[in-house]
Amino acid sequence: MSKPEQLSASFRDPSGFLFSRDGILYRQINRAYSKDYARLMDSGLYERLVKAGLLIPHVEVDQAPAAQDAAFKVIQPECVPFISYPYEWSFSQLQDAALATLSIQKRALKLDMSLKDASAYNIQFVRGRAALIDTLSFEIYKEGQPWVAYKQFCQHFLAPLSLMSYRDVRLSQLLRVYIDGVPLDLASSLLPARTRFNFGLLTHIHIHADAQKRYSDREIKAGSGGMNRHAMIGLIESLESTIKKLAWKPAGTEWGDYYQNTNYSDSAFEHKKQLVKDWVGDTKSSRVWDLGGNTGVFSREVASTGAYTVSFDIDPAAVEQNYRMVKTNKEQNLLPLILDLTNPSPALGWNNTERNSFAERGPVDMSLALAVIHHLAISNNVPLTQIADFFASCARWLVIEFVPKSDSQVRRLLASREDIFPEYTHEGFEKAFSTRFHIRKTEAVQDSERALYLMELR
Amino acid sequence: MHFSPLLYLDPGSGSFIIQILIAVLLGLGVALRASWGKIRTYFGAKPKTEDDDDSENV
Repeated sequence: MSKPEQLSASFRDPSGFLFSRDGILYRQINRAYSKDYARLMDSGLYERLVKAGLLIPHVEVDQAPAAQDAAFKVIQPECVPFISYPYEWSFSQLQDAALATLSIQKRALKLDMSLKDASAYNIQFVRGRAALIDTLSFEIYKEGQPWVAYKQFCQHFLAPLSLMSYRDVRLSQLLRVYIDGVPLDLASSLLPARTRFNFGLLTHIHIHADAQKRYSDREIKAGSGGMNRHAMIGLIESLESTIKKLAWKPAGTEWGDYYQNTNYSDSAFEHKKQLVKDWVGDTKSSRVWDLGGNTGVFSREVASTGAYTVSFDIDPAAVEQNYRMVKTNKEQNLLPLILDLTNPSPALGWNNTERNSFAERGPVDMSLALAVIHHLAISNNVPLTQIADFFASCARWLVIEFVPKSDSQVRRLLASREDIFPEYTHEGFEKAFSTRFHIRKTEAVQDSERALYLMELR
Repeated sequence: MHFSPLLYLDPGSGSFIIQILIAVLLGLGVALRASWGKIRTYFGAKPKTEDDDDSENV
């Protein structure tokens, strides 16, 4: 048995922590949390939440704790296939994560428990739906006690969602800068003045931010509670209705026609789909990253083979549409996320170890890079050998589409600039990628000058 | 105010104070709704079934 290793992100809460042993993730529950844990399990709350898909299930296991002195129990939570972060979510994903948190709090209150934190990082997408992954987030509710996680909820959810809805959807990236959510004074100053006429935003953001400034040094005295159950429910319902009313739609577009596939005939498109699907099967890939996945057309083909697929794209609108389809079709093994391949999510937080970088969350079995190489090589000037290095770090198998200079998409990229890419040819591409990969298969895409390659890591 | 030793978040003084003010105000609405439901039931209206969140699809 190898030495257990405490996860570096799991240090804030004294109730317990995550550790891994022999490649399996466990959660140690400390004695200090034993009463709250017992209430969670005995009150029926655990069962109700798991049944509703709002909390990941766990089993109590007979494993030695990682820190014996404080230990009460060790549990093994269900494994989440891919950990994603709120700055990688589209608008509806963050909104659903917020609503899941409030729904959990409402159910908890009915059984005399309450969430003691409301971190967006405690929510993950499991089987296509937002679910809480931190079993130790509950405490026994004492009537009169305000919601201790109110400030955190506003910073992690309400502030970024209102900024995305009222100002610009790209402001979700503020979550990448502020690890504990968007500061409310910042949100208040960035939001348009008209949001002061929205009761929820007026109170939970603007007045809240003013109060933080005004009462920052005020000591909270014993007996300053006085928030009865009706007040608590009123607060949660107000947050819920405020969040439900927030909406986002890309300007001037209709969802239905947001993305039309351009450079292919229907038969070429079907041909490409079939090739991708066949190669996923041939290589028996069970975990796949679609890099530059757009609205997820090819990700869906891959996911239909049973492989767990993460579909990354830089465009928040494409990811939003992809996620809406996941919800409509109740797809369980497809996760759409926002990612800029030229600047992927870095390692963040304390000691740069709380949130993993994009690369640290791999490698997987296969990555797809369809109609993406010209954006990296030409728009971003990355040399082909470096692109090969990047994909080599992602997965053992690579399905990559080469888009030549004669293609209209590439011509468009070169229209406004000097062609400084003499190496950017089929031959140059194969030579550069052969340094890191064996080229296993090559297929010309029908009715186009593009080619699809199946490559295996050297 | 009594805090459990496991409340590791700083709720923030300003957030705490404003939360109580907002919540007490909103709580009046919730209380009124509850009483109104009771009055309706007393006069023979069918009691509204409490929202069963289990069917809620978030």
